[in-house]
Amino acid sequence: MQADVAVIGSGPAGLVAAIEAYRSGAKDVLLLEREEELGGILKQCIHNGFGLEQFKKDYTGPEYAECLIEDLGKTGVHCFLNTMVIGVSADRTVTAVNSENGVFQIEAKSVVLAMGCRERARGSIGIPGTRPAGVLTAGTAQRLVNIEGYLPGKEAVILGSGDIGLIMARRLTLEGAQVKGVYEIMDYPGGLKRNIVQCLNDFDIPLYLSHTVTEIRGRERVEGVVVSKVDEKMQPIRGSEKFIQCDTLLLSVGLIPENELSKGAGVELSRTTTGPVTSETMETSVAGIFSCGNVSTVFDLVDYVAQTGMSAGRNAAGFAKGDWKGNRESVEVLAGENVRVVFPQRYCFRDDLTLYIRPAKPIEKPVAIGISPVEISIKRLYARPNEMIRVKVAKEKLKKVTGAVEVSITER
Amino acid sequence: MDIEKKHFTCVTCPVGCEVDVEVQNGSIVSMKGNKCDKVKEFVLQELKEPMRVLTTTVRVEGAKYAMLPVRTDKPIPKRLFLQAIGELAKVDLRTPVHISEVIVKDIAGSGANIVATRTMEIRE
Repeated sequence: MQADVAVIGSGPAGLVAAIEAYRSGAKDVLLLEREEELGGILKQCIHNGFGLEQFKKDYTGPEYAECLIEDLGKTGVHCFLNTMVIGVSADRTVTAVNSENGVFQIEAKSVVLAMGCRERARGSIGIPGTRPAGVLTAGTAQRLVNIEGYLPGKEAVILGSGDIGLIMARRLTLEGAQVKGVYEIMDYPGGLKRNIVQCLNDFDIPLYLSHTVTEIRGRERVEGVVVSKVDEKMQPIRGSEKFIQCDTLLLSVGLIPENELSKGAGVELSRTTTGPVTSETMETSVAGIFSCGNVSTVFDLVDYVAQTGMSAGRNAAGFAKGDWKGNRESVEVLAGENVRVVFPQRYCFRDDLTLYIRPAKPIEKPVAIGISPVEISIKRLYARPNEMIRVKVAKEKLKKVTGAVEVSITER
Repeated sequence: MDIEKKHFTCVTCPVGCEVDVEVQNGSIVSMKGNKCDKVKEFVLQELKEPMRVLTTTVRVEGAKYAMLPVRTDKPIPKRLFLQAIGELAKVDLRTPVHISEVIVKDIAGSGANIVATRTMEIRE
């Protein structure tokens, strides 16, 4: 099978990339999805707050997905559902399997990686104790409650204050469970401020910062957890242990880009994001292979995910049509002072540069975002790790850059 | 009446402006920290009656999934959430359901309707 563009994954990034690739003139666009319907994780994110920027509407996840799927229906994109991609090679051969075609190969002129991310689970954070039923990730609980119709427990403790954990604190409360508290190891919350207000404060659910779970108790089923305060090095403080009775422990302790396929294709991965190193065109280190959305780096907002999908789709189409030969010369984009993550990691002088910046620590003072050597300084009232900062730099301003671009956040 | 000092986080958009407000007789005397005018509207409503969009699910028969996601078509008083959830537990629903279809009218006497947030076809 031949294709101009093959898109892997049909969450928000993949849907937007496929639509945009088609609109940009690619003829044979294939969208490959391992589940039985399109939309990815949006289908279980039944809360609102999606697409405020893109559609100027306050959609829920399923509404946002249906909106994109409707747009997709107006294109000639060909979808493969129930289809698992098992390999991508550097020459852009995609190997997939489904029960209709068996194992088959697609020779694509360009490939868009849009596999998204997965949750960190108990094994990634090493909580001591027994291994009873009732310990699950916030996203698993979200699927059980919102799609399958099961309440995972009656008394829950949530470890980690990522957005999914906060959303699930509210969701479990509405469904009749008691949420005893959200415990966060850092001294600042992981999720968006609005979720702290709407999901915790609205329901009087306490948030404990600088706390973690140090033991899980129970044989068949969780009977409770021990929580402890942590010091500034995030080590539990002896004597601060407290037992909390519960039957469920939800983990909302971070997301990891899912890059098994990227590795197989020989794509260079970033140490900080763990996703592919890409340029502003969303092209990876391998010519003709693009990546977008949470497979690249974990974004806070679907609007940002969609924007990277749009760029990947447009450039993948351009590459497939032979309009350009991919990234030639490029410079590095570096994370400087007070910056944990900057995305993308390279600039190749083709498009405007939209930077996504994750601050390294909270700075509750007016800050300036510097983008050296360009003489721009953007002012913000504060910088917080739970709120990605997006900055757009016009390509005219970057024309003369020869060394690296370095992004920093400083107090002003 | 005395001037009261209050702190709010606006939830109208993801920016989440944090504002310090001085309130007297339910009106705003002064406000600091807002990036747009919608924050004022939000604070006034919070003082009167906190309103939120309710998003939840209802059980549906004959679909490939057990639950249909739904929402209120406009914000409702926060205090009516549990009553609304109680009413939704009694809903008897079968596929097909179309996105935006009204599932329950005037939920919990709020004047808002519960609408489906996705299309759900009959299970093949």
